[in-house]
Amino acid sequence: MKLIQISSITKKIALAAFGLFLLLFLPVHLGINLCILRDDGGLWYRAASHFMGTNYIVKVFEIVLMACVAFHIIIAIIITIENFFARPVRYKVRIKSKTSLGSRYMIWTGGIIACFLVLHFINFYFVKHGLIEGKYTASIEKVDAFFQENAIKMQNGELSDEKKNALIAQYQNISEVSSDKMDKERKNLINLTKQEVKKYCGEDFTEYEPDFYTMSIELFKNKTYSIIYLLVFIALGLHLSHAIKSLAQTLGLSHKTYNPFIVFVANFYAIVIPIGFAIIPLAIMF
Amino acid sequence: MKFKLNIWRQKDAKSKGYFQRYDIDNISPDCSFLEMLDILNESLVDKFEHPVCFDNDCREGICGMCGLYINGQAHGPDSGVTTCQLHMRRFTDGQTITIEPWRAKPFPIIKDLVVDRSAFDKIIQEGGYISVTTGGVVDGNSIPISKEKADKAMDAASCIGCGACVAACKNASAMLFVSAKVSQFSLLPQGKIEAKTRVQKMVSKMNELGFGGCTNTYACQAECPKSISRENIARLNREFIIAKTTSEELF
Ligand code: SF4
Ligand code: FES
Repeated sequence: MKLIQISSITKKIALAAFGLFLLLFLPVHLGINLCILRDDGGLWYRAASHFMGTNYIVKVFEIVLMACVAFHIIIAIIITIENFFARPVRYKVRIKSKTSLGSRYMIWTGGIIACFLVLHFINFYFVKHGLIEGKYTASIEKVDAFFQENAIKMQNGELSDEKKNALIAQYQNISEVSSDKMDKERKNLINLTKQEVKKYCGEDFTEYEPDFYTMSIELFKNKTYSIIYLLVFIALGLHLSHAIKSLAQTLGLSHKTYNPFIVFVANFYAIVIPIGFAIIPLAIMF
Repeated sequence: MKFKLNIWRQKDAKSKGYFQRYDIDNISPDCSFLEMLDILNESLVDKFEHPVCFDNDCREGICGMCGLYINGQAHGPDSGVTTCQLHMRRFTDGQTITIEPWRAKPFPIIKDLVVDRSAFDKIIQEGGYISVTTGGVVDGNSIPISKEKADKAMDAASCIGCGACVAACKNASAMLFVSAKVSQFSLLPQGKIEAKTRVQKMVSKMNELGFGGCTNTYACQAECPKSISRENIARLNREFIIAKTTSEELF
């Protein structure tokens, strides 16, 4: 059964190429995640999230990345279906010959990762795009600037009575912000719901961002989530253990001079990356 | 030795198959697997029953005709041997042995354990050869070939086309076979001339016939009686990429 009339090798190459891009992104994501462990009340982590959320180059890459994820999954499903139908009658007895665990269960570990991605999107990505409500943060400097701007407008008599009252209320509210809504360095308001954003920053204030730091810490404190997270990264390790060697094979890279390098990169990805990610829930949980 | 055999019986390509249980006794440990089946068949013929059909020819591991899926493994539990070279001493007394034919869409069952492997011939016909016009005898050393290349080509050429790679692969992929057949030529100067068209034609035939795609699991290499290396598959992929991107002859 052929779902699309492209050579089986071309499909593999496409799968590998999209996978390669995802591989390049992983260390970047890990680097940002690890900032959460720095004992600075989330300063670095929020700065990194801010950069990733606002930089235009990152935004372009985000689109490319999403396309890669989509194509990687679609091609993998097509290949799996086609391969399944290459053996319509299955064997009754089957022994797993000397093959690696990762290679045998690629589609399953991939499936687990894809399911986690959905959860991950609900928790973070959709919040970032305003589709789901989360927790927010705003720089005090920006809130002040916004307030000043409005205060000037008020002096010039440009504000309606309603807006004036709101501004006065905001002035009082912000002076009463509790300490848990303020970060260590007192530079940002944090852990705000949408309502609190309106209360402290004013109705029309738009320069707030999702507070991924608070949201992440809250998630990792949840034992069930953390355990799911750890299991997913075991699956990711298995997936990656096969991914890189397989990628090299598919692209026809096999030579005794650089094969050890491929094995090194494969092991690095399969072990170091998942462990890097797994440290975070472990550190936060305990 | 005594065995309980669970054998796939199927009257012809269209009939529905089933597993038939046979008990067999008095088998010498030095009996080969196919001889054991011969003994079973004689007893069946004596009882006016249809013997179990299976493919075989040389019975010395060189022709690639035999091929049974024994207890979940292509060519049985030994590595580096064909079914005809497998001996009953590899099994324990009283063991149940399940015998199935190669199962893959491009290898339809003809009868019982015999499958039609002409799909492999069709792949070979697409380019598994070099076109030579016979002329005067060329001096043996006129084309220098490095020992390393010659060895690799010889290793690839040792593929006997048995189809165990397809049978063992979870995707019923023929990549190991095709890669061996592509490599045995492309490594040598004489084969290089048609290398680009060869690889494209053979791969496209392989796909057309309905073999699965390779997912780099390497069950083929583990089960191949001639220990053909997966390195050949990497070479096939490489040749395919180069041919697709640089050849002007085809497509
Ligand atoms: S590659 Fe090995 S298993 Fe496949 S047909 Fe050739 S000899 Fe048989
Ligand atoms: S009968 Fe020839 S290889 Fe087994």
